Amino acid sequence: MNILTNGNFLAILGASVAALAGIGSAIGVGIAGQAAAGVVAEDPKKFGSTLILQALPGTQGIYGLLVAFIILNKIGLLSGAMAELSAAQGGFLFAASIPIGIVGIISAIHQGKVAASGIMLVSKRPEEIAKAMVYAAMVETYAVLALLASFLMVNGVTI
Amino acid sequence: MAIVKMNKISAIGLDTVKVELVKELMDLGVVEISSQDSKLTDPDWISYIEKDGNENEVLSFDSKISKTNLVIESLNKFDKTKKPMFITRKSVLSDDFESAMLSRDKIEENVDYILKLNNQLNELSTEENKIVANIISLKPWVSYDIPIELNETKYTSIFIGVVPNVVNIENLKAQVEEKTNRCFVSLLESDKDQNYLSIVSMKSEKEDVYDILKQFGFNAVVFKDLNGTVAENIVEYEKKIKEISEQRKSVEGEISNLVSYQNDIKLYYDYLTIERDKCKVLSNMLKTQKTFYINGWIPERSKEKVENVIQQYECWYEIEETVDGEQYPILLNNNSFAQPFESITELYSLPSSTNIDPTAAMSPFYFMFFGLMLADVGYGLIMAIACFMVLKKFKIEGTLKKMVKMFFYCGLSTAFWGVMFGSYFGDAIPSAAKTFFDADFIIKPLWLNPMKEPMTVLVFSCIFGVVHLFVGMGIQAYMLIRDGKPWSALFDIGFWYGFIIGIGLWLFGNSVITGSGQVGKWMTIIFAAGLVLTQGRSKKNVIGKLIGGVMSLYNITSYLSDILSYSRLLALGLASGVISSVLSILGTMGGDGLLGWIVFIIVMIAGHTFNFAINALGSFVHAARLQYVEFFGKFYEGGGEAFNPLMKKTKYIKIIKEEI
Repeated sequence: MNILTNGNFLAILGASVAALAGIGSAIGVGIAGQAAAGVVAEDPKKFGSTLILQALPGTQGIYGLLVAFIILNKIGLLSGAMAELSAAQGGFLFAASIPIGIVGIISAIHQGKVAASGIMLVSKRPEEIAKAMVYAAMVETYAVLALLASFLMVNGVTI
Repeated sequence: MAIVKMNKISAIGLDTVKVELVKELMDLGVVEISSQDSKLTDPDWISYIEKDGNENEVLSFDSKISKTNLVIESLNKFDKTKKPMFITRKSVLSDDFESAMLSRDKIEENVDYILKLNNQLNELSTEENKIVANIISLKPWVSYDIPIELNETKYTSIFIGVVPNVVNIENLKAQVEEKTNRCFVSLLESDKDQNYLSIVSMKSEKEDVYDILKQFGFNAVVFKDLNGTVAENIVEYEKKIKEISEQRKSVEGEISNLVSYQNDIKLYYDYLTIERDKCKVLSNMLKTQKTFYINGWIPERSKEKVENVIQQYECWYEIEETVDGEQYPILLNNNSFAQPFESITELYSLPSSTNIDPTAAMSPFYFMFFGLMLADVGYGLIMAIACFMVLKKFKIEGTLKKMVKMFFYCGLSTAFWGVMFGSYFGDAIPSAAKTFFDADFIIKPLWLNPMKEPMTVLVFSCIFGVVHLFVGMGIQAYMLIRDGKPWSALFDIGFWYGFIIGIGLWLFGNSVITGSGQVGKWMTIIFAAGLVLTQGRSKKNVIGKLIGGVMSLYNITSYLSDILSYSRLLALGLASGVISSVLSILGTMGGDGLLGWIVFIIVMIAGHTFNFAINALGSFVHAARLQYVEFFGKFYEGGGEAFNPLMKKTKYIKIIKEEI
C-alpha cells in the first residue's frame, strides 16, 4: 500500500489516465473508418473527404497525450531527473488528469458515430461536407473543455 | 451589403431570332432565365401561350454526353502522359473552337469507334473470365485420362463425381466391394472440401453402386459439350486465353493509338454540353405561334450590356427593380481579401436575399482564428508558399481557387501568430541547437509563450470571442434598424451589450483598472433591469411581460457558453504547440553525432507532417465552427438560391473571344 502514497507514482498514474483518452479515439476512428470504407467501395473518389471526417475523432487521443506529456514534463521524468513529489502533489496531478481521461474516451466514441453518419451524408451529398464536419466538431467541444480543465489544473499545481 | 442587386427582366421577341438571342445571352453569361411553369396554369396566360422546349432533343444530347464521357474516361486510362496535380481548363479561341466543331461528324465517328473497341474489350474480359472459371472446375480432374464424353462402353458404365472431404475413401471402397467386386473406384484428387472420384461399374449394377455412393454424399459431375480428355481440354482453354489476351492487346493498342484524339473529343464534349444547355433553357421559355417570352434575372450592373443585346434583336423588353422582400437569386461580391472566404459562407448556405452577406464581417475573424489555432511560423510559411505556388502555376478556377487563396491567407496568419508565440516548428531550433551545438539559442516570442502563460491566452481568447459575438449582434442590430425596428435593436441588442460588458467589468474589471468593478456592478444592474422591463414586451398582460423579462435573463447562459466556446482557440493552439515540443524531445533523444542527426531529421519530417496535417484540419474545422455556430447564430439565416445564369458551363476548355 506504500506505493499509493508515493507522489511520483500518483503523478505517473495521472499521466497514464490522461493518455487513456486514446481508447476513445481508437474506437471513434474505427467506427468512422468502417463507414468510410463502405462509401469508398461505391465511389473511390470520396477517399479524401471521408478521410477528413474519419480523422476528426482522433484528436481526443492527442489531447490525452498532451496532458500526459505536460505532467511528465512537469515532474521532470523526460529530462531524466525526476523531482521528489509529496503524496499530495502526486494526488493533485492524478486528479487533474481525470477530466480529459474520461471525457476524452466517451466524447471520441460519440464523435466517431457522428463522423460515421457524416460520412453517409457525404456519400449522398458530397457538397455538404462542411456541415458533416461541424456536426462532429460540436461533440469535440466537450473534449476541448475537458482538455482545458485538465491543463489548467496541471498547470496550477506547484512542484 | 455584398449581395449583388438583381433586376427582373422580361422580354418578348420574334421566333426567328430566338436561337440567335439565346446564343448571345449565353455568351454574355449574366442572365438567369427562370422557369415559367406557374404562368402555364395562370388563366390570364393559358389561352395565348404554351411551353417551349424539346425534351427529346435534350435527352438525345444527354445520351451523347454520357457516351462521350465514357470514351474520355477510357482514353484517360490509356493516356500514359503525366497528369497535372490540378486539372485546369485550357483556353481556346472561339474561332478555333467553331472551326474544330465543323468536323464534329468525324469526331463523333471516333467516339463511336472507341466505344465499340471498349465494348470489345469488355466482351473479351467476360469471355476470359468464363474460360478461367472452366479451367478451375476442370483442374481437379486433370489425372482422369478417359475422354469425358465417354460415359459407357458395351458392358460398363463410366461416371465421375465428388464426395465430401470428410468421407473415408477406404471405407467407401470396402462397402462397394462388399456389394460387388466388378466395380472400380479410384480417387483422382482431393482438396480441403472434396474428394474427386471416377467410377467404372457394370451397366447392370450401376444402380446398386450408385445407391451405396449416395450414402456417402456422392454427387455426379457432368461436363457438357466437352470432348477429349480433361488435360486436352485444359490445354485447349489455355490456348484460347492466350488468343484472347493477344486480341485484347491489339484492341488496347488500337485505343492507345487513338489517345491523341482525346483533345478533340474533349472539345466535342464541351460542345455537346453547350448545345444541351441551349436546348434545355428553351423549356424555361414560353411561346406563341410566332413569338417567344423570356423572364429572368440579371445583375443590375450588367443591365446595359443585356439591353444592348436585346435591342439588337428588336425584342420588346422590360427591366424592373425588385420589390422589398422579394426573393431573388444570390450572387456574392466581395473585395479581394474577403472573396476567398466566400467559400466558407457557401459551405454553410448562401444568404437569403433579405439577409446580408456575412463574408466581409466574417473573413478577418476566420483569418485570425485559424492562425491562432495553428500558430507556427514553419507551418504557416509552408502553407502560404505552397498555396502561392499552386496559384501561380495552375490556372485553377471557382471554389478550388477560392479555397487555395483562403489557405494562402490563413498561412500568413498562422506565421504571424507563430512569431507572436515564438513557435518555429515548435521549439525545434532551440532544442537542436542545445543538443548538437551545445548552445543556448532561444527565440523569444514577440508577445508571450502560451505554454507558460495559458491563462493570459485564455482571457484573450474569450475577449476575441466577445468581440466576434458583438460584431454578429451588431449586424443583427443593423438589420433591425434597416427594417425599421430601431427599438428592437436597442432593447434586444443594445441592452445585452451593456449587460455583458457590465458583468465582465464587475467580475474582472478591478484587476485592470481599479474602480471599474463598481461601474460594472451598476451597469449590470441597470441593463438587467432594462432587459427585465423590455424582453417580455410581446406578452399581453403585465405579469406575463414581467415573467418574460425575468426569464430572458436566463439567456445569459447561452452567451456564457458561446464565449467559453472560444477557449478552443487556446486549447487547439496548445495541442499543436505541445506536440511540436514532444517531437523536439523525441528527436533529440538520439543524442549528438551522426545517429542523432539521422533520428532528429526523421522524427522532424514525419512528426511535423503529421502534426501539421491533423492540426491544420482541426483549425479549419473549428475556425469554421466558430463562424457557423457562434457568429452566424447571432444574425444569419441562409437558404438563398445561387444565381445560375445561362452560360457556357464547359468542363475541359475555356472559350475566349478573340481580341481585335
